[in-house]
Amino acid sequence: MTVSVTSQPSSALAGRRPDLPRGRLSRTGRRGVRVFGRTISLVVILVWSLFPLYWALNTSLTTLSSAESRPAHLVPSPVNIANYQQLFGVSGSQSGFANQFGRSLLNAVIESGGAMVLTIVIAVLGAYAFARMQFLFKRTIFISVLATLMLPAYATLIPLYRIMSSLGLVNTYLAVILVYTSGFLPLATWLLYNYFSSIPRSLEEAAFVDGASWLRTLTSIVIPVALPGIAAAAIITFLLGWAQFLFPLVLTSDLSSQPVTVIVAALNGQRIVPFTLLMACGVVTAAVPGIVAIALNRFIISGVTSGAVK
Amino acid sequence: MTAVVKVGSRRPARRGRLLPWLLIAPLVAFIAALSFYPTVATTVQAFFRVSPLDPPTRFNGLGNFRALFANSAVTASWVNTLGYAVVGVVASTALGVAGAVVLRRRFRFRGIVLALVILPWALPAVDEAVIWNWMYDPNYGVVNSLLHSAHLIGGYHVYLGLDRWLTVVLIEIVQVWQMAPLSILIILAALQSISSDLYEAAEVDGASAWRSFRAVTLPLIRPAIAVAAVQSLVLSFNVFDQVYVMNGNAPLGSSLMLQTYLITFQNLDFGGGYALSLMVTLATVLLSAAVIALIYRRPVAT
Repeated sequence: MTVSVTSQPSSALAGRRPDLPRGRLSRTGRRGVRVFGRTISLVVILVWSLFPLYWALNTSLTTLSSAESRPAHLVPSPVNIANYQQLFGVSGSQSGFANQFGRSLLNAVIESGGAMVLTIVIAVLGAYAFARMQFLFKRTIFISVLATLMLPAYATLIPLYRIMSSLGLVNTYLAVILVYTSGFLPLATWLLYNYFSSIPRSLEEAAFVDGASWLRTLTSIVIPVALPGIAAAAIITFLLGWAQFLFPLVLTSDLSSQPVTVIVAALNGQRIVPFTLLMACGVVTAAVPGIVAIALNRFIISGVTSGAVK
Repeated sequence: MTAVVKVGSRRPARRGRLLPWLLIAPLVAFIAALSFYPTVATTVQAFFRVSPLDPPTRFNGLGNFRALFANSAVTASWVNTLGYAVVGVVASTALGVAGAVVLRRRFRFRGIVLALVILPWALPAVDEAVIWNWMYDPNYGVVNSLLHSAHLIGGYHVYLGLDRWLTVVLIEIVQVWQMAPLSILIILAALQSISSDLYEAAEVDGASAWRSFRAVTLPLIRPAIAVAAVQSLVLSFNVFDQVYVMNGNAPLGSSLMLQTYLITFQNLDFGGGYALSLMVTLATVLLSAAVIALIYRRPVAT
């Protein structure tokens, strides 16, 4: 089940079925009411979805005194990019702050990127075996792996902390990457299993007859064909990693591994950072997944719906 | 299904039989070590007194659970979490159905609109909570400003941390903002799989839009609604990030996950944390089953 995202010009009319004349309103009158209603509901949905993000951008692009005006300015006036200059260390007034924020962004990239790569490699191998090979207890193992999708964070949080603590890995990238990977594997395996299962076997069989090894078949035939599915799984895994908070809050203790979500929450809690700078932090933190989500939304929509509905 | 094994049998047979095990080995190792083992550990240790500052660990029977029931902050957070879950499930499922109905038809720029609608789902909850916290700000927040400009309130108000249920609802709205896109996508996928013939038949029979929605659409998307509701239920039962940012340590709007975090990592009472984790895990499973039964199995009402 996929959601079609194609938009064709004038498709609003193409999809319309002929109206049966009835009721008091004329045909055009009823159509007008319907188009009006639909436009209003679209505007409501878009405002609901985007206003908080616009508001963060608005606040981040102005001065503190303007942000603290009553009533609030709905557009930044005056426009002021000093918050972003401060964030990226262009203006020297708080370069320690810029270093801290920059480092936590880098940590988040390493941790969610590392978890994405590890998850996808392991899930591709596993999902390929589940989709194409026969072995003992296959069904039981597959269902057991997928069942962990249902596990709430409660079930694993404390033991995972203690495992990482006893291995001496607390406050390292490795601990965070391992924990993320264990959490993301069931979903990635499920998405990739579905994708591999939808690919006809004939291609692989031809390769085997030609004497190609399984590895060569996987890398040169299956993976290229399955690239959209792999991309969907990779993007969703990356977004999940970027958004993590509770696990890194527990597993990391200083800037050597704290990701940006932990730092943003800490800055918010200290109540000393001005709201304008805090919103600039929020905008930059949201920009990474935001750009990914908008640019690659087709993959996300197909991945999310196939993961949830099948 | 057998093609892989048969062709592979050019090589020694053992290798062919081992191959699938080699491929799933890393996956199984991860799940066993970092999902199964922790779950078992949580279940077992819930009945032990575990405190890193005060070893050794020893059997405690139901002692951890008794202490939790005697802890008023924990009791309050059970009630709060039920509040979070009710608001979360009802609001994001309602928004999911409404959003999916609006976005079902094709129109110009539909792809872009969908991408923008799923945006809140893709962003970190912490970020979103920090932004909404600023919008709810008692002194300069835009919520105050807009309500005041519309003459709905006489002066600026404090929204969070004064009234328990107002705090719970306002924090849960932030989570609903993040969860609703997922519900929309799930229900949209179901809507789009409904054949348009059914609507045409209903229209020819003279059914109103509302009646055709009730009689044709709703029964067919009920499974998707169940999936969306359970997703929201599990997420809102686990609510942590938004509460951490917007409520802090205050018992007023505290959630179970926040209490688990405080008991374990601030009071260092690991046994208590395990016991609470076990109870909430079981509660989540039971409630999910109940929601599925309620929505999925209920006879079609027309």
